[in-house]
Amino acid sequence: MLNRFILLTGLLLASAGATNAAENRLERVQKDRTEVTAGGLWVYNDLDQGFAEARRTGKPLAIVFR
Amino acid sequence: MECRGFDDQLVRHDPKVQALMKQFVGVRVVQFNGTDLARFQFDYDMTFAMFLMNADGTIYGRFGSRSDMKEADREISIDGLGKTLAAALELHKGYPANKSSFVAKTGPAPRFNRPEEYPSLKGRYQPTLDAAKPVQSCMHCHQALEAERKMFRAARQPIPDEFLYTWPMPDVVGLSLDPKEKARVRRVAPGSSAEKDGFKAGDEIVTLGGQPIISIADVQFVMQFAKAPASLKAEVSRAGKKTALNLTLTEGWRKQSDIGWRPSSWDVRRMATGGLKVDALAGEGLAKSGLGANELALEIKHAGEYGEHAAAKNAGFRKGDVIVSIDGLTKRMTEGEWLAYLIAKPAGSKITATVLRGGQRMELQLPTQ
Repeated sequence: MLNRFILLTGLLLASAGATNAAENRLERVQKDRTEVTAGGLWVYNDLDQGFAEARRTGKPLAIVFR
Repeated sequence: MECRGFDDQLVRHDPKVQALMKQFVGVRVVQFNGTDLARFQFDYDMTFAMFLMNADGTIYGRFGSRSDMKEADREISIDGLGKTLAAALELHKGYPANKSSFVAKTGPAPRFNRPEEYPSLKGRYQPTLDAAKPVQSCMHCHQALEAERKMFRAARQPIPDEFLYTWPMPDVVGLSLDPKEKARVRRVAPGSSAEKDGFKAGDEIVTLGGQPIISIADVQFVMQFAKAPASLKAEVSRAGKKTALNLTLTEGWRKQSDIGWRPSSWDVRRMATGGLKVDALAGEGLAKSGLGANELALEIKHAGEYGEHAAAKNAGFRKGDVIVSIDGLTKRMTEGEWLAYLIAKPAGSKITATVLRGGQRMELQLPTQ
């Protein structure tokens, strides 16, 4: 019984830790999008739009994977 | 998030790069789901990679190189990026007259066109992100490399060198390139194959394997897809004069590459060592152990705790143990060399290891998976 309690507590703590990490990462992703698009230089996470824009303007593409 | 400082400069602050970037359509991709693997071939262990392209899909060049976990931006600089961007703009001006020179910049066809088609990723990830769970549904680039390796492991075949010692830096053949330049030789290692090939410090690599070179990543790309042994034709600019050289890649040249820093090596550790992360003892730690400088002395820094990553822990290995013998070998190894040796063993092997724990030697069986 004690072992099951310890296991359950451990799983709950691990789950809470994972949730917090995911939330932090989500916040970072959302902040990244806001900051990057604010400059007006970048198309965010849309390759089709990027290629269409390059065809329209005649500019080359600089595609960053982050 | 590694490379954050570099990325921050690129995206927001550096005026030189900003001026160049205005001449491009910049696209920032923050997911690997749905990526066209035939078109976007790069070192999937990196957290920053750039493609310079024409709107028709022709690749002018790549930017982004890495060889260390802690110093993620050791091989890149804003100066180097600026020079690569300027060179890409020059190539764009000459397009389409120069189009044929870029044909080989798109690599050979991959096994699958999209990462989520790999059996180990199928069903776990979709081509697009789940808007309600963007973080959880987002695939990391290195997962595609891990999935490729798993295909060989599942088929009980050895993992080919090009998928294990992937995207080596040119340093492996003795060419150290300057991260503040496009592809300029900073140093040539004495006795290396690059020295024998005639490379000299200060040489600017203009073409390699017939491809225009505008970055260190471009050099890596040509080397990554070369079949060894190979003699790659190179043109360098030396004191303003074009010089023709060859870059020799001998059989097994990639094996000098240390893969320990790579995020995808966590999965190699699972397969090869049952989840152990080790580090070669040095300095005071080595002196305390009483082991010699040429003896095997790999300290276990981490023993995985869950699932298949816990196999070594379940076999009795503990954090802090020092491995002094593996499969009868007692010669000093780096973590990369240890992983390379063990991943060549078939899955399901038990390999005898001797560890030093609290001054006592004990024998354990290391499981491969």
